[in-house]
Amino acid sequence: MNGIRVGKRLIGTQAPVTVGWENIPKVSGGPIKLFVFTWFQPAMLFAMIAFWYYAPNSIAKASTAVGIGIGFKVLLLGLEWVNPRYASWRLTWKELVTDLFYVGLGFTLLRMVSHYIGSDVMAKAIEHHFHQDDLRWFTGLPLLVQALLIALIFDFGQYWMHRGMHNWYPLWLPHSVHHYITQLNINKGAVGNPVELFLIGLGIGGFFDFLPRAVLISGAFGLAIGTYQHINVRFNSPRWWRFLFNTTEHHSLHHSQDFESTRSNFAGSFIFIDRIFGTCIDGEAELLGMEGGRRMSIREQMTHPFTHGWKALKERFDRPMAVSAE
Amino acid sequence: MNLRFIDWIWHVRDSLALAPGQSSDDAFDRLDPLFRQTGTSYQRTHDTLIFSKKNQAAQDKMSVFDAGSLQIEKSVSGPVLRYQLTSKALLFCFLASPLFLGIAHFTVFVSHFEKPTPAEEKKPADMPMNPIDKALGAPEPDKSKKEDADDKKLSPTAAYIFSGIFAILYVVGRILEDRLIKARFKKCLLSAE
Repeated sequence: MNGIRVGKRLIGTQAPVTVGWENIPKVSGGPIKLFVFTWFQPAMLFAMIAFWYYAPNSIAKASTAVGIGIGFKVLLLGLEWVNPRYASWRLTWKELVTDLFYVGLGFTLLRMVSHYIGSDVMAKAIEHHFHQDDLRWFTGLPLLVQALLIALIFDFGQYWMHRGMHNWYPLWLPHSVHHYITQLNINKGAVGNPVELFLIGLGIGGFFDFLPRAVLISGAFGLAIGTYQHINVRFNSPRWWRFLFNTTEHHSLHHSQDFESTRSNFAGSFIFIDRIFGTCIDGEAELLGMEGGRRMSIREQMTHPFTHGWKALKERFDRPMAVSAE
Repeated sequence: MNLRFIDWIWHVRDSLALAPGQSSDDAFDRLDPLFRQTGTSYQRTHDTLIFSKKNQAAQDKMSVFDAGSLQIEKSVSGPVLRYQLTSKALLFCFLASPLFLGIAHFTVFVSHFEKPTPAEEKKPADMPMNPIDKALGAPEPDKSKKEDADDKKLSPTAAYIFSGIFAILYVVGRILEDRLIKARFKKCLLSAE
């Protein structure tokens, strides 16, 4: 494969990829279908922001956000059936079971771990450290500015954490498991080794717990933008949307079987962070995964970072020591 | 212990009548594409096909099954394909339900060791409201801290829900995958060349 030159990089030498928005297929169908699959994403984003902005205090709470999150994902699962991006990514019973197992771990065991040693503890420590008055300059900002700043700070952290995972072997080990998925579906974001899921959960979102409404609005950015990273739906996302936000096109390229393509599009929600740091590639891929699309079993997903980490350590320390020529 | 009483959990056994006069070779030739997949190995004798799969792709039409055998027998009414297939995914889904039930009980057990947090008499936070938000009609910031404690507590509810989800998914999968594979075999065997 010859590949396509993007800046200084050669993309798609190992697996087929599509580069450039003009080469990406469009939604086909009647005017209603075209309207829905063009404006669905912006409409949902603005609806969610408006909801959290105006919701009375009695319903503007975390449990409502969890309910909305679940309802939204069920709706997106429906869209996957109506207008799939690729037939080869069609959700099967086995994939659904696997995905929901990881979603279940996230809601139960991982939440418990976070409660004792994760983001909950860090958030509490930060809250105790700062006095409310120290943050008055922030809490006095308009709600939407607060929410946008929280979302941006969070995503900026995620960008570097994610980029670090692709550049530093100890972090790559737990993250590599997520790259063995061979198709994108709505719950695929939850699939990965629990160590990685714990690390990625160590965001700074919890630090802003003292600003409940701003945090809920910033969560709407994550839900109504970040969720589309892993989804098998063909959208005609407006030009401004795909310039600012991460899309399934960007993320499918990140999951491509082509190594060079995986080293792009690291941000969770705001793809312009990738544009700033020169890691953004506009395009998409159908063939996903590692080792030519080998699907990892759940057992291997659980043990892979440890077995491979152990092998790497052994290789490093078993190597004969270099003897000086003196 | 005789596994035959419980192996229906992860085994699918069924049979399918072939077209009158269809030979074993013709039937297996038609089924052949299903087994020419990455991670699949199979052996074919005159009337039997035995296969196993490892790390099969999600896109494999038989990805839910990990091994199995297909046999063509002659009966009075004509040739019949009998098959038995094993699925680790079905077994996993069956076991996931009690696993999450266990996690729910573990959560209850662990929460007993949680120190009851004394009802902190927090001074109502003086949250300023930006004039823009006032003008746009956003609700005043909530000054009570009531819901915080409940939201932060460990709760077994999610684990109970997932236990139920996997029980339902198992029943759906056991029936659905059984029917899907039969329909797939039928489509391959009866399709015109």
